[in-house]
Amino acid sequence: MMHIDPQLHRVLDGELPSDDLTPLQREQSAALQRAARLLAEAPVGSVAARVMAEVRRPPLRLGQRVAQWLTERHAVTIAVRPIWSLALAAALAAIAVIPSRGPGPVLGEQEGIAQFVGRFPDARSVEVVGSFTDWRPGAVVLRDDDHDGIWRASVVLPVGEHEYMFVVDGERWVADPLAGRYVDDGFGRQNALLFVRPLAR
Amino acid sequence: MTARRLVALLLAAATPLAAQSGFARLAGRVPPPALSAIDSILVAAHREGLPTQPLIEKAFEGGAKGVAPDKIVLAVSTSADQLRVARALLREAGEAQPTDPAEVTAVAAALSRGLSPELVGELTAVLPGEPTGPALHAVADLVGHRFAEDSSVDLIVAAAQSGLRGLRFLDVAAAAVQELQRGRSHAAALAHVKSLLPNVPPPPRPAPSTLSRARRVQPGPDRP
Repeated sequence: MMHIDPQLHRVLDGELPSDDLTPLQREQSAALQRAARLLAEAPVGSVAARVMAEVRRPPLRLGQRVAQWLTERHAVTIAVRPIWSLALAAALAAIAVIPSRGPGPVLGEQEGIAQFVGRFPDARSVEVVGSFTDWRPGAVVLRDDDHDGIWRASVVLPVGEHEYMFVVDGERWVADPLAGRYVDDGFGRQNALLFVRPLAR
Repeated sequence: MTARRLVALLLAAATPLAAQSGFARLAGRVPPPALSAIDSILVAAHREGLPTQPLIEKAFEGGAKGVAPDKIVLAVSTSADQLRVARALLREAGEAQPTDPAEVTAVAAALSRGLSPELVGELTAVLPGEPTGPALHAVADLVGHRFAEDSSVDLIVAAAQSGLRGLRFLDVAAAAVQELQRGRSHAAALAHVKSLLPNVPPPPRPAPSTLSRARRVQPGPDRP
């Protein structure tokens, strides 16, 4: 803000005659008075005029008011205790960090889940071949992602009884030692048996 | 008889024969020397009204396992005989005619697991008009864990009389095996599970995660 000499101030307020001013002060006084005249002539409406203009404006429709409310800026204040904001931050971090596990395929009423597990430490590949694949190899492959020798697969199968065997390295047929149920296969070996239950009970 | 009529008659006769034959399905999956004999078994089974899918599966199994052709034929023939015995048992138990192929298959599977025909007949008589597969499977499970046949059938019959049906029979057998693994004697395990009937706990359900689907070629309704 510009500093105005107190004596000049008093002259502008009419408390002192302009004769008391120095030539420089008189020049400043004249400049200030010109500026005051310019401001008085500017086409800026008074506060009352602007308020009346707002009053005379036709009211907005509901949609326009909603659009206006949505597009204008509003100050929103949320009062939250720090403990809750920390908890919210932790929850958001957990959602971002924890890998989501999909629900898997949607099961029909006549389908269930069979889980196959076998310990084959030196195997290069393990698969399950059984009546549920018409004894065709290559349909159900077990995995050993952590290389601990334990091979696993979870498979959706039709409800009912199934016979199967593990095939190790594509050539060695092995009965599942964990099956608990076996039946002679008619060829001198034993098939493991499993009974798949419907998941949607 | 004109030539045209003769061709029509031959075609009419050939169509059902082709439907009965599993030749097309077996080719490429079964050693060629075994094809003809297995096909004959399938045609005969179809004419008798027996389910042929278990026979085809047995032939596929032999082919996949690299079994000698004559052994595959023998295994398929043995399976056909078991299906005949199973159907006869079901008819003796009062099953309707023609007998449900799924029931025949289930009873044949129980026979192949070593259950005697007498016990299978006893169990099917307890569940007239109902699927007997799970009940037979439950008894076979118990017998497989060295429970006496008679006692195993008694437990499953008691379960049926307490109102349990279907897959709940498997829960009963699983509970008895679990009691055995906890250190009870066979007799004590059976008695304990019998005292729980019908409130035998179901087994835990696996989580449906990281699943894949087994691919299987579904047989057509008319194909053996």
